[in-house]
Amino acid sequence: MSKTKVAVIFGSRSAEHDVSIVTAIASIIKPLELSAIYEPVPVYIDKQGRWFSHPRLKDIALYTTGQIDDFLSKQKPLLLQMGGGMKITWPGIKPKSVKLGAVFPATHGTHGEDGELAGTLEMANVPYVGCDMPSSVIAMDKALAKTIASYEGIPTPKYVWFYSRDFMGDNDSVLTKLSGLTYPLFVKPVHLGSSIAISKVNSAKELINAIEVAAHYDDKIIVEEAINNLIEVTVPIMGNASPKAALVEQPILNSDNVFDFESKYIRQGKKGGAKSSESAQGYSKLPADLPKELYAAAEELAIKTYKAIGCSGIARVDLLIDSKTKKVYFNEINPMPGSLYAHNWKKSGLSNLKLAENLIDLALERFKAKQKLTTTFKTTYLKQY
Amino acid sequence: MKVIVDNLAVNYELKGKGKVVLLLHGWADNHQTFSRLISYLSSKYAVVALDLPGFGESETPRQAWNLDNYADFIASFLTKLSIENIYAIIGHSNGGALAIRGLSRGVLKADKLVLLASAGVRNSQPLKRVITKSVAKAGKVTTFWLPKSTRQSLRSKLYGTVGSDMLVVPELSKTFKLTVAQDVQADAAKLKLPTLIINADNDPAIPAKDGERFHYLIKHSKLKMLNGNDHFIHHQYANTINQEISEFLSQ
Ligand SMILES: Nc1ncnc2c1ncn2[C@@H]1O[C@H](COP(=O)(O)OP(=O)(O)OP(=O)(O)O)[C@@H](O)[C@H]1O
Ligand SMILES: [Mg+2]
Repeated sequence: MSKTKVAVIFGSRSAEHDVSIVTAIASIIKPLELSAIYEPVPVYIDKQGRWFSHPRLKDIALYTTGQIDDFLSKQKPLLLQMGGGMKITWPGIKPKSVKLGAVFPATHGTHGEDGELAGTLEMANVPYVGCDMPSSVIAMDKALAKTIASYEGIPTPKYVWFYSRDFMGDNDSVLTKLSGLTYPLFVKPVHLGSSIAISKVNSAKELINAIEVAAHYDDKIIVEEAINNLIEVTVPIMGNASPKAALVEQPILNSDNVFDFESKYIRQGKKGGAKSSESAQGYSKLPADLPKELYAAAEELAIKTYKAIGCSGIARVDLLIDSKTKKVYFNEINPMPGSLYAHNWKKSGLSNLKLAENLIDLALERFKAKQKLTTTFKTTYLKQY
Repeated sequence: MKVIVDNLAVNYELKGKGKVVLLLHGWADNHQTFSRLISYLSSKYAVVALDLPGFGESETPRQAWNLDNYADFIASFLTKLSIENIYAIIGHSNGGALAIRGLSRGVLKADKLVLLASAGVRNSQPLKRVITKSVAKAGKVTTFWLPKSTRQSLRSKLYGTVGSDMLVVPELSKTFKLTVAQDVQADAAKLKLPTLIINADNDPAIPAKDGERFHYLIKHSKLKMLNGNDHFIHHQYANTINQEISEFLSQ
């Protein structure tokens, strides 16, 4: 039997473009090359949004040496065909087509992880790995995710959200809205990841400056109370109807107590965990160093959140813990964890290959279940014309 | 921390309490070049160090800027932070030229000035020629005047195929030409504030005689010539420089 072709889609128009390249190649494509059932097909979306596929795109050196631009200039972008599954075609005098058995999205941030790609794949009616469009959209909006989580009784730091244009138009009414919150406060753009434009403020003057910064990057802003005596943990979760957690992991904070872009990506922290499990562990405690009950509480809250947001496939839930009160709060949820958090799954007993294969299995399972739902109805609507 | 100034997100650090000391870094550098100086001085002063637009984590200006644009920007930045009085400005390399120009135009005001291997004597300086030449034949590049981190990424850029941009940030090449072209000797001659000038006698980027020239031009200045061959004197001679500056500021 021939292997099922799985397109691994990565790159895209996102600030996390490069992180995605590493996720796709190191944690998905390389392991899947050893699979007996699945065959990875690299599909790279460049920074302009053009789709390409070529065996050489599996080679990380192509990107690290900067030869990629030159290489792509000699390639023709792919043609996509949707409806009754997804077909990719390499154009040319003798065009070649492949029908995909499944798609493995591996993008981070905008134009991908935010639900755009899931929506596209949903339209194409092809099985795909990871969260569906609605859950991705919710997850990528910190305010929306918190609102839905709170509705399910999941604790989050007290927060207020508003649109940037409302602050620019009527500064006072927004500040009144915020007056119920107690300093210190965190100000965040709701859609952006990687701590870009996040500030911690202690006074009204700082608050205004911080809102301006957030509004410089996003059209929607959340302001929330800071959790004291902070322990931060993150929990990778996998599954559809009955999701399971990997190990609760505790990233090591930098001196400002904010896990910033640099410690996260440049120094191989949270998302950069890609390169090797050692380096990831160098910046995190795996498993987290927590008392038993607190560890269990974190795991439970993470799974509860995953379900509340409606995730399937995989996601990673970030939690904030007040080590004095022992209270656990939901912070945010990431539909496509950098490098799938493979180092953590490995330590929980799942090899890189098994991880990637299981995720594709879950995609196929969800697809099948969805096919059973009735989506068309007979109507007499057109008859009246 | 970031603030929005003139519609640009600018990254800065404010550490300590007391009289305000403003730090200005050089070309292709960022405020962290001063990390040791910041921790040293912040026990006595409120130290403000920003990533100048185009560098570090600050956004890049939408047009090409010269030193005057930078100085105006710093003034707006200080207003934004509600900082009214600056006690001292410390500038390294191009940051020194920027301080001199800002002070002479009255856009910036301070009681004291410290120039670390300051640029701004443009005619005697081989730098501009070196750069234009090496840009022409991008194989051999002199990078001693750039911070180490930049030097490395620059090398890999040059020898990779990404494009041989000497100036690190392509959008800044015009800004680079404008700022590097700006001679500030006439401005230096107008300064009346007590100034400490520190240079290294074998600095490969800024000749020792530029330090002497500034000393000659700035009336109330003191020149300290170190024995050394690194343009980043605040790294190589961190302890000496910290002490010299701290002493000068407490006088
Ligand atoms: N309410 C809070 N109390 C205490 N610390 C907080 C709070 N909110 C955020 N932080 C700190 O700031 C960091 C960044 O916040 P957050 O995770 O919401 O932003 P982000 O940009 O989505 O980051 P990333 O996507 O890289 O995880 C957190 O990891 C945490 O260290
Ligand atoms: Mg986070």
